[in-house]
Amino acid sequence: MAQPRLLCLVLLALAVSAQALTPSHHLTASDVARLEARLGQPFTDLQSAYFSIVGLSKLGVTVADADDACRFLTSNLDPTNIESLFFAAESSQALSGCEIPVSNETRDLLLAAVSEDSTVSQIYQAVGALSALGLPLASQEVVSALSARITKEDSVLGIINALQTAARLSQQAELGSILEEIEDLAARLDDLGGLFLQFEEGLEATALFVSSAYALSDHMDMEPPLKEDQVIQLVNSIFSKKSWDSLSEAFSVACAAAALSNNRFHVPVIVSAQGPATVSHSQPVLQLQVTDVLCQPLVSASVLVESASSVASKSVILSKAPFALRDGVFELNFMDSQPASGYYQFAVAVTGDSRLIANHVELKVKVSTEVAITNMDLSVVDKDQSIGTKTTRVDYPSKAKNSFIADSHQNFAMSFQLVDVNTGVELTPHQVFVRLHNQKTGQEVVFVAEPDNKNVYKFELDTAERKSEFDSMSGTYALYLMVGDATLQNPILWNVADVVLRFLEEEAPATIQPKTLYVPKPEIKHLFREPEKRPPTVVSNTFTALVLSPFLLLLILWFKLGANIANLSLSPSTVLFHLGHAAMLGLMYVYWTHLDMFQTLKYLAIIGSLTFLAGNRMLAQKAVKRVEGK
Amino acid sequence: MSNSVFSVISRFLEEYTTSTPNKLKLVDAYLLYILLTGALQFLYCLLVGTFPFNSFLSGFISCVGSFILAVCLRIQINPQNKGDFLSVSPERAFADFLFAHTVLHLVVINFIG
Repeated sequence: MAQPRLLCLVLLALAVSAQALTPSHHLTASDVARLEARLGQPFTDLQSAYFSIVGLSKLGVTVADADDACRFLTSNLDPTNIESLFFAAESSQALSGCEIPVSNETRDLLLAAVSEDSTVSQIYQAVGALSALGLPLASQEVVSALSARITKEDSVLGIINALQTAARLSQQAELGSILEEIEDLAARLDDLGGLFLQFEEGLEATALFVSSAYALSDHMDMEPPLKEDQVIQLVNSIFSKKSWDSLSEAFSVACAAAALSNNRFHVPVIVSAQGPATVSHSQPVLQLQVTDVLCQPLVSASVLVESASSVASKSVILSKAPFALRDGVFELNFMDSQPASGYYQFAVAVTGDSRLIANHVELKVKVSTEVAITNMDLSVVDKDQSIGTKTTRVDYPSKAKNSFIADSHQNFAMSFQLVDVNTGVELTPHQVFVRLHNQKTGQEVVFVAEPDNKNVYKFELDTAERKSEFDSMSGTYALYLMVGDATLQNPILWNVADVVLRFLEEEAPATIQPKTLYVPKPEIKHLFREPEKRPPTVVSNTFTALVLSPFLLLLILWFKLGANIANLSLSPSTVLFHLGHAAMLGLMYVYWTHLDMFQTLKYLAIIGSLTFLAGNRMLAQKAVKRVEGK
Repeated sequence: MSNSVFSVISRFLEEYTTSTPNKLKLVDAYLLYILLTGALQFLYCLLVGTFPFNSFLSGFISCVGSFILAVCLRIQINPQNKGDFLSVSPERAFADFLFAHTVLHLVVINFIG
């Protein structure tokens, strides 16, 4: 059972990795609304007015009060500042009926800014203001000034400004060299895991790059040098961020979204299921939303199921079936092709416009159904089979009237089938469990019911064999059947019957101890080494006497040899020496019983030095006597 | 054969009693005493067991050390070895013996437990 499922997973993984890259991030309807709300905030200065007015116009929304906005522009305009002029002019263009008055000085200021001495952004703002105000300008001069500046400032933002400028120039000018910059910039994009493509300068640069590249390509009617996968990766990175830090970031995302949903070359398609991708007999229609990145439905497109195959069996059950458009949602009644319950892999193609990209999409659709339990037979079977078994049929959801009694010589048996309510086909859901619950002790035991090759579930409880799982607890158990699967709409928990299980009495535990896991463990006590067994005191005493006995022998031998102390003189040194020696012996004994090594050494140094002096003197006298004696 | 062994032994004893100075005999008696004490301790260890092992060790080491020191003393005060120990008088030898004993028994008592 597990092996084919694993195989399916592997195949699914292969299929996913093999399929073409599709956008994983896009703006949902609520994201677009939030973006509009972010851009629709009250103006604080001319720049924020520019971001709001132009950003909203990109989203196809007009400013609530155009006259009020126009008054804000004219009152905040500084006619000596190129930046201010640019913001006001571009904004007024997006508003209907808003004229910005221009004097000759202003025009000269703007024209003077178009030179090789200005930065690219200054040139961009001057050109933007001039074109928005409808003033004439020499496009070829601008191109040469831009080309010269680009070689000096090679930053990403500078080149993006150059692209934006070029899109505002006359089509007759030689814009080819600037168009080539798109390819160079695309080569500078960082690839993140094959899913995202972005500039390290941030989201704003990436989004502005997309909008300026498509603006210039549309302007020149030349396809931008971007591959389909690159566009999808750019879509992912621009729309993966759902909360925008600044107004300018929201503005750039709005520009990119407008460029990606409406240009002459590439329109990424977002295909997603409306709600969960699930169909059933009660809800047979699969609904797909096919939109551009701004969540606008692509009503002109035609949507086709190229193939729909079962994930489990790989069999194709539907091919070349068109979706029907209804209220901006593409619909298909999948249950018409009578799929069995399970998961299906859909290959969906969106056609009808040559600009569409990412228009081949793989979808996983779940077909769910309802399950019914039939032919539920319960019986108690003698193991020796001497008595014919009597089976009892129980119908869902009622409970058997009589309880069943099974002792250790009997088996309790249960058989049933699971069928699809709608088609009558036998089902084998993932989870089919038999649960026995002892109401008195709260103990529960769960078994797995397995189907045989005819998809009949059989469950047999050998009372004697399974007694350890019940802790040999005799008593009344409530028998439950549990059926569940991801594709089942009605999971079942059914109390089928009561079963009295009787285990052999002598094996039943005397006391039922609830298995409490969270009690403190017994304290660990340190165990000292057991003292060794001592020998009997008689033996010890005997050996003490034996060990001491040689001393007696020594005394006897010395006595025999005639040792004596007659030679002992009573000079002070002699007395002191012998006393010192005795004191040292005594000290040894005290060391054994009371003192430590340091104290002992201290005393020994005192006694020892005295004894040494006395002994030295005594032995010297003796030596003198000995020498004299010779 | 046995006869000759006995004769050798009796000759040896005779020689010993007559030619060995009395002082050395005293030391020899002392050596015999120590030898027997050590042997009895070892016998106890064999028959009864080593417990308490450190006490047995200190007692036995005391015997062995004392025996060695006594042998050294005996060598040094033997008149026959006088030529070898010119600078060591019998008194000096005895003082050394006492000093070494003090150190030895300091260790032994430390070890007895």
